[in-house]
Amino acid sequence: MLAVDLAGDGVKAKNGSMVAYDGRIGFKKLTGGGDGLRGMVTRRLTGEQMEVMEVKGHGTCWFADRATEINLVDLRGETLYVEADNLLCTDSGLRTGTTFTGLRGASQGNGLFTTTVEGIGRAAILSDGQAVVLRVSPRYPLQVDPGAYVAHTGKLKQTLQSGVNFRTVLGEGSGEAFQIRFEGEGLVYVQPSERNTVGGNV
Amino acid sequence: MSGPAVFDPQTLPADDNVNAYTFCVDLHGQWFLQKGKMIAYYGRISFDGVGHGRLDRLVAGSFHSPLHAADWVVAEGEGKMLLADRAFDVNSYDLEDGNLTVRSGNLLAFQPGLSLKQSVIPGFLTLIGTGKFVAASNGPVIFAEPPIRVDPQALVGWADCPSPCHHYDHQYLRGVLGGVRALTGLGGASGEEHQFEFTGAGQVLLQSTEQLMAERDTGSVPGQPGVPGGPPAPQQGGPQSRFGL
Repeated sequence: MLAVDLAGDGVKAKNGSMVAYDGRIGFKKLTGGGDGLRGMVTRRLTGEQMEVMEVKGHGTCWFADRATEINLVDLRGETLYVEADNLLCTDSGLRTGTTFTGLRGASQGNGLFTTTVEGIGRAAILSDGQAVVLRVSPRYPLQVDPGAYVAHTGKLKQTLQSGVNFRTVLGEGSGEAFQIRFEGEGLVYVQPSERNTVGGNV
Repeated sequence: MSGPAVFDPQTLPADDNVNAYTFCVDLHGQWFLQKGKMIAYYGRISFDGVGHGRLDRLVAGSFHSPLHAADWVVAEGEGKMLLADRAFDVNSYDLEDGNLTVRSGNLLAFQPGLSLKQSVIPGFLTLIGTGKFVAASNGPVIFAEPPIRVDPQALVGWADCPSPCHHYDHQYLRGVLGGVRALTGLGGASGEEHQFEFTGAGQVLLQSTEQLMAERDTGSVPGQPGVPGGPPAPQQGGPQSRFGL
């Protein structure tokens, strides 16, 4: 559960994630993910839909979603890449948008696009179980199961790596046929659980 | 508030938990994993389904029931590997020339020093030998000493040699009315009429919830009379004999 203290300022949060509040707080649905008209059109086109509300006022507001774990990410000008489903709440000063992820998204079953959060402030992301934050540096590239990937920050190049061979076709696959390989400099958030993915059963 | 702990290959623990739900394996050589439990890794690790080619000998040494070997993967190489299972609690256990029986769905991974066998109790697997293994549980695990009676749903496994058997609470099941009550739930059943009873020296592992983890098929047993889970033996009496009627 996430508690946000508001003093006249506002946050953007996933629709319907408020569980309690005290003080005077108003909730306003933002159409099309709250990134303006252009963002709305992009989201419609890309299918990376995000139902967002603006929460504003004085008091404390508590957010939660399906008893999943909440992780806070401090952003100082970097970009956070996160799936729309995993984004709970952002400071209103942060800009959200969509970006193309390529094949990786397709293997996750989350579509070809992902959500970006940019600016200075704090964002809350959701994970099934407490997330593990892993640092990627040029010396230590990281491989992640697509189903366990939640979010990443920093300058990272991601490539889809596959271990598919004739045994996979024979039904003797390893269950780890696809991994996302992260190279560069940044942090990757991994959840201790796997979503059902197309690649996960191979 | 400081941010969450950030891990890299140096700071990740070796063969220990990263948090309650994630276990880090310091891999030098081989480990067996259940399919799809790896969430991330550093280093050079390859994953192969077991049961073929050059891994065949390994399988013969570690798996004594090739029927379910298809659910297992061999991780081979050097690096740090993170394991997790549907956000359940994971724990590692060390066995030294011992044996441990565990519910099939709970076992995540084990070192090749251990050999995996099907238990005579359907749905359970037995690990024999020396090495480390990782098991998941719904909530933290409690170790208890026999003699103890446990709820079937809370049982994760047992180590060494307690003898597990069924126990029916005769306070509830005595007489015709008790039988009706237990079968239909009419007249109030407490839901605790049936337990597993353990006696003997050893340890019993319990999870702190009665929510079961999904069973994993342990493979079918040879269909011969006398094998539990095999074809039914000819019945001596009706179901009443169970209740002492």
